[in-house]
Amino acid sequence: MNKKYDVVIVGGGVIGAACAYYLSKCKGLKIALIDSKRSGNASRASAGGLWAIGESVGLGCGVIFSRKSSSINVNEYDPVAAKTITPHILPECFFNLALASNALYPALHEELREVYDVDFKFEETGLKFVMYDEEDRHYAEHIASNISYLSNNLRWLDHNELRDSEPYISHEAIGAIEFLCDHQVNPFRLTDAYIEAARQNGIDIYMNTNVTNVLRVGQRVMGVVTAEKGEISCNTLINAAGSWAADISEWATGIRLPIKPIKGQIVLSEKLPRFLHGCVTTSDCYIVQKDNGEILIGSTTEDVGYDTATSYPEIATLVKGAMRCIPELRHTNVKRCWAGLRPGTPDELPILGLLDGMDGYINACGHFRTGILTSAITGVITQSIVCGEPIPVDITPFLATRFNGVN
Amino acid sequence: MNKNYPVIVGGGPAGIAAAFELVSNGVNCTLLDESPRVGGVMFRGPYRQGVKLDYLGIKFRHSMEALHAQFASVQNKVDLQLNTRVVGVGSNSRVIALNNDERIKEIPFSEMIITTGCHERSIPFPGWMLPGVSLLGGVQLQIKSGVVKPMGRTVVVGSGPLLLQVSCQLVMSGAEVVGVYEASQFSKLAREFISLSNKPQMILDGVSMLSYLKSKCIPIHYGWGIVRALGKDELNQVMLAPYDQNWFHDLKKSHIVEAETLAVGYGLIPRTQLSQQMGLSHNYNNDGCLTPTIDQWQQSSQRDIYVAGNLTGILGGEAAVLQGRIAALAILRKRKNISKEMAEERREHYKTKLIRVMRFRQGIDRYSFRGPGLLSLPDAATIICRCEHVIRKDIDNAINQGVEDLTSLKMRTRVGMGDCQGAMCVGYCSDRLRQETGRKDVGWITPRFPIDPIPFSAFEVAKELS
Ligand SMILES: Cc1cc2nc3c(=O)[nH]c(=O)nc-3n(C[C@H](O)[C@H](O)[C@H](O)COP(=O)(O)OP(=O)(O)OC[C@H]3O[C@@H](n4cnc5c(N)ncnc54)[C@H](O)[C@@H]3O)c2cc1C
Repeated sequence: MNKKYDVVIVGGGVIGAACAYYLSKCKGLKIALIDSKRSGNASRASAGGLWAIGESVGLGCGVIFSRKSSSINVNEYDPVAAKTITPHILPECFFNLALASNALYPALHEELREVYDVDFKFEETGLKFVMYDEEDRHYAEHIASNISYLSNNLRWLDHNELRDSEPYISHEAIGAIEFLCDHQVNPFRLTDAYIEAARQNGIDIYMNTNVTNVLRVGQRVMGVVTAEKGEISCNTLINAAGSWAADISEWATGIRLPIKPIKGQIVLSEKLPRFLHGCVTTSDCYIVQKDNGEILIGSTTEDVGYDTATSYPEIATLVKGAMRCIPELRHTNVKRCWAGLRPGTPDELPILGLLDGMDGYINACGHFRTGILTSAITGVITQSIVCGEPIPVDITPFLATRFNGVN
Repeated sequence: MNKNYPVIVGGGPAGIAAAFELVSNGVNCTLLDESPRVGGVMFRGPYRQGVKLDYLGIKFRHSMEALHAQFASVQNKVDLQLNTRVVGVGSNSRVIALNNDERIKEIPFSEMIITTGCHERSIPFPGWMLPGVSLLGGVQLQIKSGVVKPMGRTVVVGSGPLLLQVSCQLVMSGAEVVGVYEASQFSKLAREFISLSNKPQMILDGVSMLSYLKSKCIPIHYGWGIVRALGKDELNQVMLAPYDQNWFHDLKKSHIVEAETLAVGYGLIPRTQLSQQMGLSHNYNNDGCLTPTIDQWQQSSQRDIYVAGNLTGILGGEAAVLQGRIAALAILRKRKNISKEMAEERREHYKTKLIRVMRFRQGIDRYSFRGPGLLSLPDAATIICRCEHVIRKDIDNAINQGVEDLTSLKMRTRVGMGDCQGAMCVGYCSDRLRQETGRKDVGWITPRFPIDPIPFSAFEVAKELS
């Protein structure tokens, strides 16, 4: 069997799914999405935070990351940054990307619901960084001073204001800083919603299908080889293979992108009545209540290869961190824990766009701890490139050429 | 707690047999069971002292007493931990368990024998969640525990040997059984005579159960089965109909029976949550269920991890004992408590018996092979996943939208995301997907830590014991 497509997307996580959706809206393109359903898929494992500011300033997934990074040394490309205890603030280009993506969700949510009858449960929640002591306050103040141009999106809460808005939060908390534009979705619903909408728009979906090689002639990608469905040809290959993207890039271009899996573990409670109105992060963990009442607690950042096992000490740390913030949790049950693999890059920025010197190959990978948030803009960017339209944000900082030794 | 002990998870016939074999040959072990007594679902017996179970028959009582006596003879060499639920796998050869005080403990093992048994296949049909409708094994457990017997008129539906057995036990315990409905045709049973004659005693038992029910004027309908359960807040009627060869029902010939209790027994599913979490390799058996792969010593794909009993495929108590013993022999051989030759000789002895049971069981399995007609029972609005309230229409939609595997179905509909982690709905969902796709492998629900919910507070004082 040899099928022919304009575009083949490798990877059906949230990034591949978003690319599929935005591309499926372009008339006349024949598109295939291929996914192998690997365990460790980050999108299924994710918390679903759209924490545009929170993650950019190193909170959410980032808070534990920056606390731990000195010991695990993920940031091997920048040893100086890894040692700092001050907030780990990403460069401005990332804020722009994150905020641009964030702005797309309200309308996207409407559109997917109205036109395709799929609902990814977008909720306007805000994200509060809950402070327990002066050290936390310094941390928060450092953040605020770094992003003064976003001050409209910040709000300080003292102890009483915090308890008024979130009555279950511990008396121990001295206050919080809230990022008003940071919200949440249900991450696997988002992935699924993109895919179902794209399917309704006519794309072909190859699930449980492994891409095992890439066909190319000279510097031009011609198609992919799959273990289950034989060869599938295409004019353009989109590499959205998450933590496995380096394999695809190597087969397609001869170059291994510097992407490696960074494991994150999550704890989920049983369904509970409303404990939280908004998303919460502390210096121990983040805590969010999802659309169906489950409370989700995350997450670790572990540089342990493709291992996806949950481990007791890490789970216990998250659980204790959550009970410190919401003491009532001790009367409820832990229902399930899991782990997923974030596609980590050395500078924590995604890898997007074309690769110089290659034809028919586009990167959409390396989204690390914010791929849910940045999926929409990644879809838009990829679609613009394929269709030769102007790209709405400057993607120069995200091109693969930024890495030494690449290209 | 001794790091050098083999740990047996599950104190049913397989686990007890393994413990007995180990201790008798000089190896002390740890035995964990979630309930307050050993014996497993089959032979746990009454929780309270002084309850006589004579109504279950002399034979049953003798088997049960023999098993408990066997265990009693080695119990002083067994670190027995009851009320202890294994909820996950720790690092460095430990399992994580929750005890009766809702405390977490880590239990080290040198080798492990997993004998977690099976759970019942729940079959969704309209009304299956009404109070009064129960699974057959659950009903049996009630009478065996000597506490309660079912209320009012009882209808028994399902397929296979358990159906007759429980019906007899119900009658003997004084319940009012108004009808037994076996989905397969009697003629189909006769065709399996050669296989079944591997265990002549079992045939005799079957015949005597039949004549017992006959003597009590309990009607047995072959080729009949459930259509729906009726009632407002609780069961008061059961609709039944003739089943064809593929278990599709004929509504035109259906009839309605007044009843307060309905016992439903269409099969069992191996409890693989722990074996999956251990990362053992698994295969699909003929029944479509996941089972761990084993070698001739009952060893799994991982060294020092053995599996035995119904977990490896539904073969019943006798096979469980044999498999438990073989697993123990493997450990004894490895530890040089018995010679290689001796171990092999005894394994062959058990194997010969095991093969007879397997042949018998294959006959039974062919006889009560689950017909696809069962999948047509639920209406569009019938709940399939109880925890997440997923109805049949949601599953149909997902399949129409191209969903082909259990993980995708879970993401799309939330089936299996509830407290039971799919124990209830995995049977229906897997059967549906296999039927729609024609594929043998549509995936399975991946069990997550903790296998059963555990209180947040259990983490506060978790002790590391070594
Ligand atoms: C615990 C945790 C919490 C997180 N929380 C958040 C959050 O709150 N907010 C946020 O924005 N982000 C969060 N993230 C990050 C986010 O989940 C990821 O950035 C994002 O999901 C990455 O998506 P992806 O599509 O690139 O990768 P994935 O979701 O991993 O998908 C990649 C897919 O590619 C497939 N694939 C790989 N190789 C092949 C091949 N050769 N052939 C076929 N298919 C292949 C895989 O099977 C996989 O399905 C979190 C991540 C984790 C682990």
